[in-house]
Amino acid sequence: MKYLLMIYGNQEKWGEVPQETWPEEIAKQDAWNRKYQETGELIGAYGLADAVNARLVRREGGAPAVTDGPYLETKEYVASFYLLDVESEERALEMAADMPWADRDPVELWPILHEAPAVP
Amino acid sequence: MSDGVEDLLRELAPQVLGALARRYDQFDACEDATQEALLAAATRWPATGLPENPRGWLLTVATRRLLDEFRSDSARRRRETALLAATPQSALLETPAEPDVGGDETLTLLFLCCHPSLSSPSRIALTLRAVGGLTTAQIAAAFMVPEATMAQRISRAKQTIRAGGAAFTMPEAAERGERLLAVLHVLYLIFNEGYTASTGTDLTAPRLSDEAIRLTRLLRRLLPGDGEVAGLLALMLLTDARRPARTGRDGSLVPLEEQDRDRWDQALITEGVTLVTETLPKGAVGPYQLQAAIAAVHDEAKDVDSTDWPQILALYELLEHAAPGPMVTLNRAVAVAKVRGPAEGLALLATLESDPRMARHHRLLATRAFLLELSGDPAAAPTYREAARRATTVPEQRHLTLRATRLAAADDKASERAG
Repeated sequence: MKYLLMIYGNQEKWGEVPQETWPEEIAKQDAWNRKYQETGELIGAYGLADAVNARLVRREGGAPAVTDGPYLETKEYVASFYLLDVESEERALEMAADMPWADRDPVELWPILHEAPAVP
Repeated sequence: MSDGVEDLLRELAPQVLGALARRYDQFDACEDATQEALLAAATRWPATGLPENPRGWLLTVATRRLLDEFRSDSARRRRETALLAATPQSALLETPAEPDVGGDETLTLLFLCCHPSLSSPSRIALTLRAVGGLTTAQIAAAFMVPEATMAQRISRAKQTIRAGGAAFTMPEAAERGERLLAVLHVLYLIFNEGYTASTGTDLTAPRLSDEAIRLTRLLRRLLPGDGEVAGLLALMLLTDARRPARTGRDGSLVPLEEQDRDRWDQALITEGVTLVTETLPKGAVGPYQLQAAIAAVHDEAKDVDSTDWPQILALYELLEHAAPGPMVTLNRAVAVAKVRGPAEGLALLATLESDPRMARHHRLLATRAFLLELSGDPAAAPTYREAARRATTVPEQRHLTLRATRLAAADDKASERAG
């Protein structure tokens, strides 16, 4: 069963973290990534660039029309996402709760529609 | 590579690994060496032709790789010395004698790959590689994960086996029955993964359902007297027979009652029915045999209306007794509805609502929607829609949405006429 795990944030939130603890926070996340890559349950971990680098793309008269915004009204945006492939929903919940910041902010867990479901 | 060579290599893979693991009892190293020997054969044989004794050739190459590996690993130096001392020089240089009939070893291998210390995805991956002779890339493609992820999973599984100290020996007789159940379950999961996948056009990976059938045939050759092995094989054949009718041209899901039965594979049905007929009277009827018997009743009916529903209901009652579970109850409710009317089927479904495994499950909702539709209840359309929201696969979600839309349109027309 595949899941998408997402963490949200914004510059304000990152700014609250004291600079000297950043390396520690990053190391915690790296440790989480390594731990689940080794079990074969983490397919990929992707950090997203800041919102200033995001673009809105439309098609106008068959050609791409690209703008810098405006984005949906949202205070926080997706900061990173993780692809999981696990045996059960329980396991996915366990991995999500093991995320370094999960005791401060919730993470989102979405099942991915799969072509071949696990047999009940 | 010609299919002939590939088929032969995959047939020989568990025999070579089995012989090696029995002699050296280091499953992980033996598995690596076997894969390397298979790879060497796959590149060489199509050019040079088959060696006189393909199994001996593979065993020789794999043994050399294994011993090279031992030599190059300084941490294992002491063990290597002991191993070399214990191995007759001739075994290192000459083509090994024909290994013993591979049967027991293949069976031991299957038991080891389905070891209780492994998670079920690990058991599946290891079985496909060690017994099925598939490459990591092929297994990864079949499960739609990157090759690196699958490689990690397989290597972890082998580490777990090593750390647990599981030896390459046949489990004790008392444990064998339980381990066989684990093996059957893994083969069943592999079959299902392949059967429900709608992406069947991937040329890099063999179809998992075909692979599951091949391995179950192999298991049946090893244990010809076991009713559940025969039952599982029959269940796979009778289910696979419907594959051609199971998806529409656009890849959409066609439910059993709407399938074009002329497109079912009669050869598979005949083989499956024969197996069921031979096995059932022998007594000790287990869940796979019962499910195969149910599949046989469906497959032998010309159309939905001529299906022997009382027979199917009786078989589900036996199954519920032999292997109770919410999915069995769910299927029994459909049979009850067909025999005694939708109201009784719905009443049985209601008993599942308090089951936490089922309360929010899309199959419970989909079945309720179906029975509501049978009884002409307008709640059917919204129930299909709710089931679609909870579906976990794309084809199921589309199918349920389509049914909801179709019914809602029909209801609108009916109310227009009434108004």
